[in-house]
Amino acid sequence: MRIIKLNKQIKKRFIFLLIIFVCFSASIFLIGYSLKDQIAYFVEPTDLKSMDGIENKYLRVGGLVKANSLKFTDGNWIFEVIDQNKNSVNVVFSKTLPNLVEENKGIIVEGKFIDNIFIAEIVLAKHDENYMPQSAIDKLKEEGKWRGD
Amino acid sequence: MFAITPNTLANFMISLSRYFILLSLVLISVSIFLIIFLENDYYQGISFKIMFIHVPTAWLSLAIFLVMGISSIIGLIFKSPTAFTVARSLSPIGLIMSIIVLVTGSIWGNLTWGAYWVWDARLTSMLILAFIYLGHILLLYSFEHFQKADFAASILAIIGLINLPIVKFSVDWWTTLHQESSVLRMGGPSMTNDYLITLLVSFFGIFMLTIFWFSNIFYIIVEKRKMERSKLLND
Repeated sequence: MRIIKLNKQIKKRFIFLLIIFVCFSASIFLIGYSLKDQIAYFVEPTDLKSMDGIENKYLRVGGLVKANSLKFTDGNWIFEVIDQNKNSVNVVFSKTLPNLVEENKGIIVEGKFIDNIFIAEIVLAKHDENYMPQSAIDKLKEEGKWRGD
Repeated sequence: MFAITPNTLANFMISLSRYFILLSLVLISVSIFLIIFLENDYYQGISFKIMFIHVPTAWLSLAIFLVMGISSIIGLIFKSPTAFTVARSLSPIGLIMSIIVLVTGSIWGNLTWGAYWVWDARLTSMLILAFIYLGHILLLYSFEHFQKADFAASILAIIGLINLPIVKFSVDWWTTLHQESSVLRMGGPSMTNDYLITLLVSFFGIFMLTIFWFSNIFYIIVEKRKMERSKLLND
């Protein structure tokens, strides 16, 4: 009982700490809330529709590489980045792609729109949170439960 | 925490420390064995195996900070020297853990994403966590009297607690290059059981190593203070 019964000094220190903590949390929350567009690492093709003046603006666009769209022609990689709402962006990239860039897999492209075509300067592969061995996938495919590519 | 003196806790922890290191060595050996014979990921290939260092150390660097913050609160409110000493001995371990997370994550990022470092929300908030650990250590050693140092450093630890949910939920709140959580997430883990078991074995191995390390640092701090006190008395 002696511990549970808070004396005045302990109560004072508790309130002091609480005020510090609440003030700092509130300021961090406000910073995070007002900068939320800057903190976001990339935008999806759907978000681009509601943005103004995207021409010639340095952007990062993320999504999946559309199935059957990845081609190599005239020294350039050409592909489409698509999101869940089926909006897509045509991308041209002239350097080496990261190893993990595949169709139906995540990608982030960094660059500019020129005449509605996205000229990428940096391409990053974005892998998702699913991990499984090939044998598990084969098993799922046998059972007809595989929902991937 | 209220009645336990630093001395009691130090003696208790150091008496168990041989079991901690034994258990840790067994678990880490088992996990290395498991990692070697584990089948590669279908998409990332062998490079996903760095996860078994990256993820346990990431969890621990967050958990250590949580313990540090809570013991700083207890220390400040109840003036408990034991709680302050717990926080003091945890911060070097946390710093090393967060450096391991950043380095392994960087190697893994280069192998999979194609970049060592990007300024997305998860990576940046983790770097801030490492800097808070560093600041905590620097504060502890920038005062002549350890009571003053404990007071200043514990305020930093309590303010730093705000960063923990930001690190954990950054991947859900903002779009990031970093993947979302695979284990501690809504709807259960998104990896097969063999990967999950290996991850847990390796986590508990590194966890026991952390406890062993903590008991030794704690014991050394307490013994050093005892020696200084007896030196003062003799003079």
